[in-house]
Amino acid sequence: MTERQLAFVFDLNKCLGCQTCTISCKTLWTDQPGMEYMWWNIVNTMPGRGTPRDRDQMGGGFDAEGRAQAGVLPSAKDFGEAWDFNYDEVFYEGKGQSAHLHPRSPSANGKDEAPEWGPNWDEDQGAGDYPNSYYFYLPTICMHCTDPACLAACPRQAISKREEDGIVLIDEDRCDGYRFCMEACPYKRIYFNPDRFISQKCVMCFARLEQGVAPACVRQCPGRVRHFGYLDDEESDIFKLVKTWKVAIPLHPEFGTQPNVYYVPPLAPPRFDENGEIDEENPRIPMDYLRSLFGPAVDQSLATLKLEMEKTRQGEKSELTDILIAYKWQNMFIPFVEDPGELSRPAPKS
Amino acid sequence: MDQDTSPDPIPDSATATTGHPSPEDAYRARWRWDSVSKGTHLLNCWYQRSCAYNVYVKGDTVAFEEPVAKYPQTNASVPDFNPRGCQKGACYAVNMNQPARVTHPLKRAGARGDGEWQQVSWDEALTDIADHMLDALVDAGPEALVFDGNATGLAAGTAVARFARLLGAITLDLNTEVGDEQQGAAVTFGTPVACRSADDYFYSDLILIWGGNPAYTQIPNFHFLTEARYHGARIINISPDFNASAVHADRWYSVRPGTDAALALAMAQVVISEDLYDADFIREQTDLPLLVRTDTRRFLRESDVKRGGKDDVLYMFDEGEKRVVKAPRQKLRLGKVLPALEGEYEVQTLDGTVQAVPVFHFLRESLNTDYTPEKASTVCGVDPTDIQSLAREVARARAVSGVAGASISKYYHGDLMMRAQILLFALCGQMGRKGAGFDTLPYLIVEGTMTAPSATGFGLLDTLRAVAPILPSYVALRLKGLTNEMALFRLSRDEASKGFVSAVLFWYYHGGLREISGRSKEWDPYLTRDVDDYLADAVKFGWQSPPPATPPRVLFSTGGNPLRRVRGGHRLLEHMLPKLDLLVSVDLRMSTTAMNADYVLPAASSYEKCDVNDWYTPLMPFAHITEAAVPPPGEAKPEWEIMVLLAEKLQERARERGVTQYSDANGKQHRINDFASRLTFGDKFSAGDHEKVAEAIVNSSGHLGKPRWEEFKKKGFQRFEGLGLHPGSAGNAGDLSPDETFTPQTWRTQKKMPWPTLTRRIQFYIDHPWYMELGEELPVHKDPPMSGGDFPLIMTGGHNRHSIHGFFRTNPLTLELERGEPIIFMSDADAKQRGLEDHELVRVHNEIGEFLIRAKVTPTVRPGQVIVYHAWEGYQFQGGDGHKNVIPTPMNPVELAGGYFHIQHTPAILQPGHNDRETRVEVTKAE
Repeated sequence: MTERQLAFVFDLNKCLGCQTCTISCKTLWTDQPGMEYMWWNIVNTMPGRGTPRDRDQMGGGFDAEGRAQAGVLPSAKDFGEAWDFNYDEVFYEGKGQSAHLHPRSPSANGKDEAPEWGPNWDEDQGAGDYPNSYYFYLPTICMHCTDPACLAACPRQAISKREEDGIVLIDEDRCDGYRFCMEACPYKRIYFNPDRFISQKCVMCFARLEQGVAPACVRQCPGRVRHFGYLDDEESDIFKLVKTWKVAIPLHPEFGTQPNVYYVPPLAPPRFDENGEIDEENPRIPMDYLRSLFGPAVDQSLATLKLEMEKTRQGEKSELTDILIAYKWQNMFIPFVEDPGELSRPAPKS
Repeated sequence: MDQDTSPDPIPDSATATTGHPSPEDAYRARWRWDSVSKGTHLLNCWYQRSCAYNVYVKGDTVAFEEPVAKYPQTNASVPDFNPRGCQKGACYAVNMNQPARVTHPLKRAGARGDGEWQQVSWDEALTDIADHMLDALVDAGPEALVFDGNATGLAAGTAVARFARLLGAITLDLNTEVGDEQQGAAVTFGTPVACRSADDYFYSDLILIWGGNPAYTQIPNFHFLTEARYHGARIINISPDFNASAVHADRWYSVRPGTDAALALAMAQVVISEDLYDADFIREQTDLPLLVRTDTRRFLRESDVKRGGKDDVLYMFDEGEKRVVKAPRQKLRLGKVLPALEGEYEVQTLDGTVQAVPVFHFLRESLNTDYTPEKASTVCGVDPTDIQSLAREVARARAVSGVAGASISKYYHGDLMMRAQILLFALCGQMGRKGAGFDTLPYLIVEGTMTAPSATGFGLLDTLRAVAPILPSYVALRLKGLTNEMALFRLSRDEASKGFVSAVLFWYYHGGLREISGRSKEWDPYLTRDVDDYLADAVKFGWQSPPPATPPRVLFSTGGNPLRRVRGGHRLLEHMLPKLDLLVSVDLRMSTTAMNADYVLPAASSYEKCDVNDWYTPLMPFAHITEAAVPPPGEAKPEWEIMVLLAEKLQERARERGVTQYSDANGKQHRINDFASRLTFGDKFSAGDHEKVAEAIVNSSGHLGKPRWEEFKKKGFQRFEGLGLHPGSAGNAGDLSPDETFTPQTWRTQKKMPWPTLTRRIQFYIDHPWYMELGEELPVHKDPPMSGGDFPLIMTGGHNRHSIHGFFRTNPLTLELERGEPIIFMSDADAKQRGLEDHELVRVHNEIGEFLIRAKVTPTVRPGQVIVYHAWEGYQFQGGDGHKNVIPTPMNPVELAGGYFHIQHTPAILQPGHNDRETRVEVTKAE
């Protein structure tokens, strides 16, 4: 346990899968050499294989006794490579309609090979049988775990957890690129930079936090999905949603790392029965599936949510839904409410 | 631009001690910038338009962008608008610098479309273009010059519109061609425009997402819906596919594509048969109490009962006085009259005694005969019990709002679908109240754009001079009994149509589309006459205006990308392109149109010039400004500069060639020797004055408060204070106050201002001869045509999540978040039946064409439906033939009707539209 811990709550009932968080992280941090294929933040359609593909089956984390569990090292292909596009061939090489713009797998060594996977490959595909199909959007980042498996697995002690806010950081000078952290991370949110031979991941925009500014993914989310703040601040949305109301719950608690991203689990419209009539009794998203992601706490969380939403339908007030609504956007990430546009941040010399 | 020179507040301690920045300092250094500018994206994002961004600049490049996020909360009872933005806006700078960006004037060096180019100087390009234009002007007249434009921004749009207008050239009217005309609303409300502010949804207790997918198309607005849900509203989604918006609904109803009218009418049947309708509302606001003769089935008119009587004075039966009375015309207020909704009444007419019944009578009859829930269920696929409960819910809710996109408008029978939807809302009185109403076309335009294309300047005198010639007509229309709104509509129809030509009719006659769009009768089982018959009559009666016969010689496209955009667009390549002496594409990007152009002229992007978005929507009632954060790359230029330089070159070449004037098709002479001077409002602006033109238009607009330009630039946004005088915004019919959400149509429901229709009411009964011939005098369901032939799958489409039209379709980042190339969504059942695998290359074909595409297989798509989302460029498909090639867009004759008060072709509306949602195809393995 660190002295304090910063945490996120992602409200899946507001997430529209737009990937604005994904892009805002990309343009700020992962547009450097060797990082082309990295998406520290990604939103996946679930059920789905995730990013990297089949990540839920890749292992890592700890068992109930706290023993590290073996994990798989995801490859760049599993994450989805950064494709090349043949812009020049199509526009400027005089080939007319014989050339068409398309992605090429960069690992095909110059051969024109179509990619077979990408970071958002199964977007909006979902599962079930029409009309009882189902899916929802699940954004993930580094969970900045209270007990990070990556930290425990690093033989170089290159990974640290900051005392003052619990951010998990990789010291890129100490890192030697062994990638044990990538195997150990059960959420598979660490990438390998082949150019620099180091591991890299979400840094929780610590450079912004130092200036009192919320992380880019939080501040840019147009769906107003992301609440952010200190887990011990009893006035914060985070505390109320996680501790008081207990509607925000961790993903895969069984991995044993105590992640600090919490999720308000997804509701869904009712399914249809065999006569084609609305069936209010059985959920569209099977509860077993949700439990496989969020553990047994998902039942109570959804029950609380439905109860409070029913109150507002009857015209009553609900503290819970008022928090989730976020009438004033800035209140979602107190105390990190500074406006970056007003800061003085001249580029360092040289 | 705020140049920041204050000292760095963070000590770079690690750098100081080791001389090598610590890893953490490297991250700190990444999040640095030299200056911050305000930016917005000059794009047609429509429902989600537009957003204020801070643009962070390092050196000469934009490092990243982030929303300004300082919009005021309208009031404490609703969520605020912050932060706005989307993934596209978050990587505009990446898009601006993507490999498809054009940075130098390019001249075609091989055959059209081959991709062989020669970089030329601006002077060389403009000289050659000017010479081609002059040739066409002199040889064939200005009608041989065609402008296809979507240059966004006050200055950019004015530059192009003014250039075309002053030249006397043709400007294509694109709105119905893209399929955004919302014809059903136009014929029912008298105007297709009406939309609430996104925070007004917060007052709804039932929200129907019906005809749109706002999770894709309203990304910055969507939180108002999820938050309204937390506030107690129920969200009901009606769509064929279980889409990204349905995921967040409290209930989702799966409807067969193209059958929404049957569903809406069945709901109306339940509402009426169970006496759930709002009788007060329909008596006052709709035509349902108006009397219709049973012999002719036409409205009872004053001209029926009195010699010299008016055609637009109509009647109802007053249950109080037990007599037939004239329906109110100047105000909707009924006073003591209680109009009957039932009964049959005897009326003395010039033809003798006739029987008349209220419209409501016919409506009830039609609904009871054809649209019981059981009958409708077999058409639309929604369970009868579900139809009943849904109807009751809509009728009993406190405030129901509708969320749609422009999708319904892109169905062949979209007008019928929308008329039926509006009927349901009106029957339940769900209109013109906070949180209640059926939103149609969202539009709110900066007032100053009204005269900018033609005025001599921006002063009061200039305005008076512009208005003076139409004053006598205005007075005459008022004397005829038209309300102020109707008179202005009528005048703007005449005024604004100058130079505008229906793009649909233009491509039909000049682009080779007639051979496919003219085949309506083959595919629409209800037609007994060829559409060409109707078209010939419509032209003869003056109901529609065909394009000039002059064949096009120069097509000048500014960002509109017609060769990607137009349905059946391969016909343009085959039939129109060979006719052109010159195709010019002014663009940021190598689009399909640019690829086929003779010249590509590079335009400045949104962060490379100062401009203000030209039109908005009430959903987000703020104007937005963008600044020149960085210089344009290479030789790219703002549109104002391009058009002024071209005008100067045109004038110079005319002088050198001894051309002083040219004559148009009507024999009218046009001067060319002072063209550049006229374009620049009498030399008031130079070529470098893009920003000053935008500033002048903002200052001439009365509904943006009194923002000082510098303040506007500093803030990035400015809230509208009213709808303004532009007739395009008038349909919203409501007051915009700073601390209230915006609710449209309150001028009708509260101030009792008449609707601008023949009946001056929301009009469901249209006794136009063609509506009657086609059996569409009341809203009905008609089975969709088999556009493209009798094939088993219906190919629909929709605006997509990751692009704004074609603009982000070539962006490597957003492509990476899809599959990098075009895909067709199809159901797992249909794929299995055809032995197709996910991501397999497939061939899609019908009678008129074929294309290759990869399949995306999913149980979220309704069996029988396939979906290709919007705006893939032709060159993204193998072989170059895109999905537009199988879309014949049959012309619907009902959209050719005119001469019926409010139903008469008007700029942007009430012209034939293009449609694509009923296209029939088969999908097979590619090999």
